[in-house]
Amino acid sequence: MSTGGAPFLISVKDLTLDRGGRRLVTGLALRVRSGEAFVLTGPNGSGKTTFLRALGGLVNPAAGEIERPAPEAIAFLGHADALKPGETVRDALRFWAAFQGGAEMTVEHALSRFAIAHLERRACGRLSAGQRRRVALARIVLSGRALWLLDEPAAPLDTRGRALLAEAVERHCAAGGAVIAATHVDLGWPGARTLEFGS
Amino acid sequence: MSALAALFRREFALAWAGGGGTAGPAAFNLAALALAPLAIGPAPDILLAAAPGIIAFAMLLSTLQSAERLFSEDAGDGTLELYVLSGQSFALICLVKSLAFALAVFWPAPLIALLAGIAYGMSGEASLVLALALGLAAPGLALVAGFAGALAAGLKRAGLLIALIAAPLQVPVLVFAAGAGRAAIDQTGTAGANLLLTAAFSLAALVLAPAGIAAALKARLE
Repeated sequence: MSTGGAPFLISVKDLTLDRGGRRLVTGLALRVRSGEAFVLTGPNGSGKTTFLRALGGLVNPAAGEIERPAPEAIAFLGHADALKPGETVRDALRFWAAFQGGAEMTVEHALSRFAIAHLERRACGRLSAGQRRRVALARIVLSGRALWLLDEPAAPLDTRGRALLAEAVERHCAAGGAVIAATHVDLGWPGARTLEFGS
Repeated sequence: MSALAALFRREFALAWAGGGGTAGPAAFNLAALALAPLAIGPAPDILLAAAPGIIAFAMLLSTLQSAERLFSEDAGDGTLELYVLSGQSFALICLVKSLAFALAVFWPAPLIALLAGIAYGMSGEASLVLALALGLAAPGLALVAGFAGALAAGLKRAGLLIALIAAPLQVPVLVFAAGAGRAAIDQTGTAGANLLLTAAFSLAALVLAPAGIAAALKARLE
């Protein structure tokens, strides 16, 4: 997945992050080129989520610089799936496609990437945790955005779900995108680089 | 623009269907209006004099009652993060969401005011003026309540905080809207001025409240 001379999608210099009065990360540097996948590992509470949120611009770093692309190029998956219980899967994804723009893929196609096309008419409140995660991942794919920031993308997923996720990530990187994912399970992404967070 | 139109449609549908939708605040409003005469007594002249105030006040309370719902779900389920990162102006998103919510939830309020006005003994014309005043007040009331809801989003007992923050800010529109109704009853000729002041409050809230809501929600995400 590495591409030598590709431009950096996001670069981080001397980053210091605080959370709740505690220093989580100091002097962190990271540069991600298009075509690369990065996995952030480390124990609970080591700052992976805060780092991802800082990359997206949701959290201001205590010190350091982040050069990030415009928000229109960032697709963010938090620990929550941002699905409304009363909305059907299709309505939810149609809304996000219209709202975020830039999608060339149809909702049906994005759902089929995660093998949940049959859930299209189901209300989000009646999905299992793993199914909800798949819908949220389908939203990421559907956004057509270059940089994916994924917080524990595979946590509730079964083996097949993880394989589909790895496939989607590989496809995205091959198409010139980049992925940064925080996780404490083995994602099984070939060619992904790892950044270990201290305890 | 089509993105914001999609947002309006979605937020309208969610507010319409979710958690009691329109029925909650409308029932609250009606209950307050049905109970007040029992407490005040049956004297028609007293009821007539009190009508504009009671009707406007009941609507104000119903906006406070529903404000907790406006942003707390989005803050809890991660929707807020996606809105912030959507690339659209976040203040505009907050404005569109608040207006969609206000339209879905408070559309019966002018109707209730019209019927209540007649039931309290106001003339049809005065009731219409009061209903119009509350229709003009609705966006302002909803946005101020939304601002308080944004400050309190995700907190326990948010309702108390919302009432403490929003009620003082809603005082001017309460005075003007009830004033329009009273002026129409007494035919003092100042009903039009009160209606304009009510509209001015809502317009000011349209400009100021979204920025405040956006700032409050962004601070919440930090």
